[in-house]
Amino acid sequence: MPHPAEIIVDRLTKTYGKFLAVDNISFTVESGSIVGFLGPNGAGKTTTIRMLTCYLPPTGGQAKVAGFDVFHQSLQVRQNIGYLPESTPLYPEMRVQEYLSYRGRLRGMDHRRLRERIPQVLEMCWLSDRTRWLVGKLSKGYRQRLGIADALLHNPPVLVLDEPTVGLDPAQIRETRKLIANLAGQHTVLLSTHILSEVELICQRVIIIGRGKILAQGTPAELKRQSAGRGGAEAGLLVEVRGPAGQVRSALDGLPGVEQARIVSDGPVCVLQVVGKLDGSLQEQIAATILQRGWALRELRAAGGTLEEFFVQITDPGAVAA
Amino acid sequence: MSQTLAIARRELSGLFYSPIGYIVLALYLLFVGLLFALMVFQPGQLADPGPMFQWNHLILIFLVPFMTMSLFSEEYRSGRMEALRTGPVTELQIVLGKFLGAMAFYSALIASSFVFVIILSLFGRPDYMPVLTSYFGLLLMGAMMVAIGLFFSACTEHQILAAMSSCVTLVTLGILCQGVASLLSIYIRRSWAWAGWIQHLLNYLAIEPQMANFARGVIDTEHVVYFLSGTFLFLFLTYVVIESRKWR
Repeated sequence: MPHPAEIIVDRLTKTYGKFLAVDNISFTVESGSIVGFLGPNGAGKTTTIRMLTCYLPPTGGQAKVAGFDVFHQSLQVRQNIGYLPESTPLYPEMRVQEYLSYRGRLRGMDHRRLRERIPQVLEMCWLSDRTRWLVGKLSKGYRQRLGIADALLHNPPVLVLDEPTVGLDPAQIRETRKLIANLAGQHTVLLSTHILSEVELICQRVIIIGRGKILAQGTPAELKRQSAGRGGAEAGLLVEVRGPAGQVRSALDGLPGVEQARIVSDGPVCVLQVVGKLDGSLQEQIAATILQRGWALRELRAAGGTLEEFFVQITDPGAVAA
Repeated sequence: MSQTLAIARRELSGLFYSPIGYIVLALYLLFVGLLFALMVFQPGQLADPGPMFQWNHLILIFLVPFMTMSLFSEEYRSGRMEALRTGPVTELQIVLGKFLGAMAFYSALIASSFVFVIILSLFGRPDYMPVLTSYFGLLLMGAMMVAIGLFFSACTEHQILAAMSSCVTLVTLGILCQGVASLLSIYIRRSWAWAGWIQHLLNYLAIEPQMANFARGVIDTEHVVYFLSGTFLFLFLTYVVIESRKWR
């Protein structure tokens, strides 16, 4: 990777009294990438984020954001970070524009820069029609966008968004996702969420954390493959065919690259599970074979191997069987 | 500096946005008006607004706590403290900004009582120098009161608790100290040295004797030092509380 790491977390630990919230975690986030930070509730996501944004001092280990140490150079870190806290705290009695200009002044932005930058972030976050509104009168979706606008205001190299799409309707979730995806390149984004489809769509890398430890990290595709591997016999391809189950099975069993074909359900329309070397050509061969024999192919899809399954498997090993 | 002023400005406008600010302002004018009508604006009396300023603290000890109660408590409760603390501002800037914002409102509050001096000047010729020193004294006393309010607001996320604790503290300084001191002078024998010491201490801590001097037109460094050291003490304690919160 040619990009330097924008966030470096090195053996970071946080304890609350005797409770170990974050246990010795290390990861890096490359400049300009969007990284999804996943984990069940209480896994230590928010605690980690709070340490990165200098809200909580770490108990052990260190972290660098934009090249500055979160403990010793906390002010510089805070200058280079845009943070959307989980609860999106705002001042309800202020107006949208007023709020942004207060937040800008808090970051030492002068009048000229604010006049130039506020309309930009309002535009980026689809807030231009709410400039004069009282923050308290905004709907949840608009408040969330105002929170993001606030985080973007000083054009920070690093953005940390803690569950930015919580409480939004599906259309708003899509818009917000689009907005975040647009930020990649100029900004490094650490996105905490538990909506997995979101992560698959916009994150280049995923870090899964559970009980204070990092359980897995990689690209969404890598993790999905790992899931397929873990599932063992459950993984493979599911083929739904209108045709005699027995004949279909023996036909597929004969194909090169197929290790095993198994009938999942019988009937006029049967479902078979095919385990084998999963590259693109296997699917094509299966489809071609079925069509050659004159059966009707109804569906051909990968069994298992979704990010969701992987997430459930890895965060709670007891739930694999289910 | 600009960050401190940004926070101060927000706190000042926050007080004007909320009903609390206006209630405090209205009650202040009402009670100062009563003081003025009963103790100053009487037929045959000298045109001396002194008593109005000398007893002003009796009103302020009940009003300032409501002015300051939300300064930190509300930020904790709403989670805005996280947004504030993760911005590039130091704890000192946060404390000073909030203090200055509340002081700006307090200045407007005491300035509103000038209307009674104007009324008095329509009927007589008051001496303006004691009025000036009175306002100077009120400003110093207010700084200490606001600092006390700020401290208790930083201690809890419950506004009412913050208001009540600062009220108790201010009542102790404004009324109880002097009361206990005069009780001591009546019931305790002169020969007990420690009683004299305590009496002296209580009298020094009491607000009224200091304000009486300012109202008379006297600026005594002893009183200036008293209010300033009280202000610094509580601002420092507030800073310590804010700073220590992140370690919990």
